[in-house]
Amino acid sequence: MTPSAADTVLEVSGLSFGYPNGRQALDNVRFTLRRGEILGIVGPSGAGKSTLLLHLNGLLPLRPEPTRAATNGAAVHVAGLSVGAANLAEVRRRVGFLFQDPDDQLFCPTVRDDVAFGPLNLGLPRAEVERRITASLGAVGLEGFESRSTLQLSLGERKRVCLAGVLACQPLILALDEPFSNLDPRARRTLVDVLRRFEGSQIIATHELDVVVELCNRVIVLDEGAIRADGPPASVLADEALMERHGLEVPLRLQLSRKPTP
Amino acid sequence: MNESTARPRPPRSLCHRLPPAVVLLLSVSAIALGMFLPPAHWPSHGALLCVLFAALGLARVPFAVVAGRLAIFLGFALLFAISVPLSQGFRGGFEIAQGILFRGTESFLAGLWLISVVPFERLLATLRRLGVPAILIAILAFMYRFLFVLWNELDTMRAARRARTFDRGGLAFRWRNAAQMIGMLLIRSLGRSERVYGAMCARGWDGTLRTLDE
Repeated sequence: MTPSAADTVLEVSGLSFGYPNGRQALDNVRFTLRRGEILGIVGPSGAGKSTLLLHLNGLLPLRPEPTRAATNGAAVHVAGLSVGAANLAEVRRRVGFLFQDPDDQLFCPTVRDDVAFGPLNLGLPRAEVERRITASLGAVGLEGFESRSTLQLSLGERKRVCLAGVLACQPLILALDEPFSNLDPRARRTLVDVLRRFEGSQIIATHELDVVVELCNRVIVLDEGAIRADGPPASVLADEALMERHGLEVPLRLQLSRKPTP
Repeated sequence: MNESTARPRPPRSLCHRLPPAVVLLLSVSAIALGMFLPPAHWPSHGALLCVLFAALGLARVPFAVVAGRLAIFLGFALLFAISVPLSQGFRGGFEIAQGILFRGTESFLAGLWLISVVPFERLLATLRRLGVPAILIAILAFMYRFLFVLWNELDTMRAARRARTFDRGGLAFRWRNAAQMIGMLLIRSLGRSERVYGAMCARGWDGTLRTLDE
């Protein structure tokens, strides 16, 4: 095993996936993610970003026909473990998934119950569950929110409670689906800061290209289910022709730093 | 209904200071008492109703809230009560109809008092401590949680619809609109339930419910 292989936390090799309605969502996607890497996935709506993320957690191939599931399952490895029915529990522990709409993810009556959901399913002892609730709420800056009702939180707070619920499972990789959508600037800033402090690897599917430049150290451009570019955000996202081709635009942050004033 | 107004904090009252288990016991006893009283005995049912109204007053539940909810409930109860003498014959049917109205109203008021006094999360915790199966509690919790989500969704859909109908159309048009909206809501709920299930699986759900209070 080469030294770089030991560093690989996620390997996606030749992943293709079509929805039952015949739409090809992913077409031979391959990439690896190294420990500590923060990878942004950008692309127009319907490019396959969410579909890709769902595969990392073994949430998608379960639904369609089993033959397809079998071939797809082998195409994703999380820290050497293939994503398939046999390893599902461990894969889901290693990959923490943050859904786009916090209302999909926040289903318990109180914050404490919700953050405890993952650790309890891991079969951890009560004392450890309590410790993790406190620690992960602290990590997202919501100390003391334990007894709050999940109905009485702002969108930004709900997102962060969801993230706390994911962090409480102590994942190796965070998979985040549009984490910044609909957030006001302050809530977005808070979330960026929380994510920056996370020590594992992250995959962030987003339309917020400026945040990608700021937060990520690598970016993949996905369009029509295939990878169109892969590299450091400052160079990939600055490529005007590439951005244009895939329904994106050069983020303001890069435009300002590059263009000299006439 | 947005989230800040969804669950108005009732003013603190004597009733709110009672332990939730006591409140639960009192309201269940009121319902049971109504069941044991003879179905058409006006004085005893009248007395029980007075006690329940007094309890609601004591809990400072606004009269308009009680009246509004009671009106909705009585609409259904009346319809049901009327159907009994029509189908069972007028001789015994009226007595049963009265029983339905009395007992129904009493149960309704007792339930209203219970949920006005004890916040829903605490009620669930109390039920759990009293030995109600965890899976039942979970279903109630889910229902309560997603009732608000769906209500918000319906609100958004209604607003979007209103913005484009320009107050036109008669009753038939409105009813058709409402029916379409309910259909849409059903489809959205199904989608939502799929996503929630996915989110549960993502955090290790394997069909066994585990709670912190065991």
